[in-house]
Amino acid sequence: MNDPGVLIKVENLRKTYGKTVAVDGLSFQARKGEILGILGPNGSGKTTTLKSILGLVYHDSGEILVNGLSVPRDRKRVLESAGAVLEGARNIYWYLSPRENLLYFAGIRGVSARRAAPMIESLLRQLELWDVRNKEVRQFSSGMKQKVAMACAFVHDPEILFLDEPTMGLDVEIALSMRGWIRTLVREHGKTILVTSHDMDFIESLCDRVLIIRAGRIISDETLQSLKARFSQKTVEIVLEAPLTKAQSDAAEALGPCQTVGDEGVFRLRIRLHQPRRILDLMDILRDGGSVVRDFSTSENDLEDIFLQMIRKEP
Amino acid sequence: MRILILALTELRLMGWGMKRYFFNTGALVLVMYLVFLGMFWGVRAIAGGVVSGDSLDSMVVGYVLWLMAMMSIQGTGGEVMNESQTGTLEQLYLSPLGADMIFLFRLINGILFNYIFVTIMLYLSMLTTGRMLTVNFPYFYGVLFLSILSLVGISFMMGGIGLIHKRIGSVYGILSFALIGMMLLPVYPFTPWALLPFVAGAHTVNSSTVHGTVFPAWWYMYVAANSLFYLVAGLLIFRVFERKAMRLNKMGQY
Repeated sequence: MNDPGVLIKVENLRKTYGKTVAVDGLSFQARKGEILGILGPNGSGKTTTLKSILGLVYHDSGEILVNGLSVPRDRKRVLESAGAVLEGARNIYWYLSPRENLLYFAGIRGVSARRAAPMIESLLRQLELWDVRNKEVRQFSSGMKQKVAMACAFVHDPEILFLDEPTMGLDVEIALSMRGWIRTLVREHGKTILVTSHDMDFIESLCDRVLIIRAGRIISDETLQSLKARFSQKTVEIVLEAPLTKAQSDAAEALGPCQTVGDEGVFRLRIRLHQPRRILDLMDILRDGGSVVRDFSTSENDLEDIFLQMIRKEP
Repeated sequence: MRILILALTELRLMGWGMKRYFFNTGALVLVMYLVFLGMFWGVRAIAGGVVSGDSLDSMVVGYVLWLMAMMSIQGTGGEVMNESQTGTLEQLYLSPLGADMIFLFRLINGILFNYIFVTIMLYLSMLTTGRMLTVNFPYFYGVLFLSILSLVGISFMMGGIGLIHKRIGSVYGILSFALIGMMLLPVYPFTPWALLPFVAGAHTVNSSTVHGTVFPAWWYMYVAANSLFYLVAGLLIFRVFERKAMRLNKMGQY
């Protein structure tokens, strides 16, 4: 691996299940201390990609290097520096307590109970599991079980964490606390995280860079900032006292697709501007036509809009 | 050192499991004893109340051997099935020490547990029949261990099949009945039935414990070779299915 900052390098990864192509020539890199989000519709190859990097699925062709080590050839050495939550709360033993789970998963990675003790205490406290550390996991809510699973994946202090749908089935509060915890891991401990999720808010608020995959192929690999800049669209909603004239409507249409809804003397104009700076032109159109503006609001494209736009746009 | 930590961790897991499922462990001893009682009274009823001492002794040892065989054969296959059901199998495969080592230690722990369990059952059975056998424990456990290795191989085969097909519980039901029949087969001096797993070793333990039969050295070597064959075959088949499961992404699916 030429660039020492690159921790994971995937080159032309291909995986098929019979005639179904799950991953079709995927290439990307993940740098140290980066949170890389992987987005894609169901069956797009996200989980297969994660599992291939972990050596849980044998790929057909292509190259996977983690820390310069090849998978699956050097799989065991790669696993020294990796932790993963792949099936959420099912990844742990429900008949054991959080403490016992952590001791067990540390042990099977060769970390003794004595050496793991400070990390176990720290994780239990950080994830607010300390008071229930000796209770059986089966009594917990799904959010708490998920927290235990996350702690178990991290108990041996891995350099890279793989999270497959970590917020699935979680309530907003737990998803928020999970997000905070993951951010701390990256900022304070320099960990690298690969995360797949359908939760766009989660990805948008957490990831530095996003891969968008469709049918096993990458259709976008860039930072959230550049993605947003590229697909930036401002939606303007204006409440008017009277409907637009024909000339105003035609002029507004030239700025972007617009829609007018009239209801009991209140008329709403919603327009998605092709270019955000054309908002001034819109204001001119309204002023020149003598429209009275009662209210005004704008909104930017979020990741979900961009994702849907890309998924629908690509052939 | 790390392997020792893994061994200790697996021992600890067994301890936690036994503590959590203490009632289940106790119930297992009780149920198996009740099965023996049913068998014992059934045989006596069929024989009109008179059963020879040797037959009783043979029944006691045979029952204990069957228990040991059943528990051993369920070893790795059962573990794979359980882990697959609970969703933890992939996590075991993420251990840098290897899932095969985890299963190996679980197997060793299982055999140790089974030794304790069958010893309790042996004494309970002897007390019930009123016939106290003089058991040479080092010999009994030694030959038993030697022959059990063949079933460990079968267990790994089952484990491998379990990785792909997941639900293999019904096969164990068939195997448990097959084992009873297999243990009654004539194997000594060498017959083709001796090629089957475990039966040569089971016959050796039973005959030497009940009748004091002394076997020649070549026979023990044969028992060892038989076990080694099934063990190696089992491990290889497990590895083949493991690779297949990884190719088909079957590790985490149940």
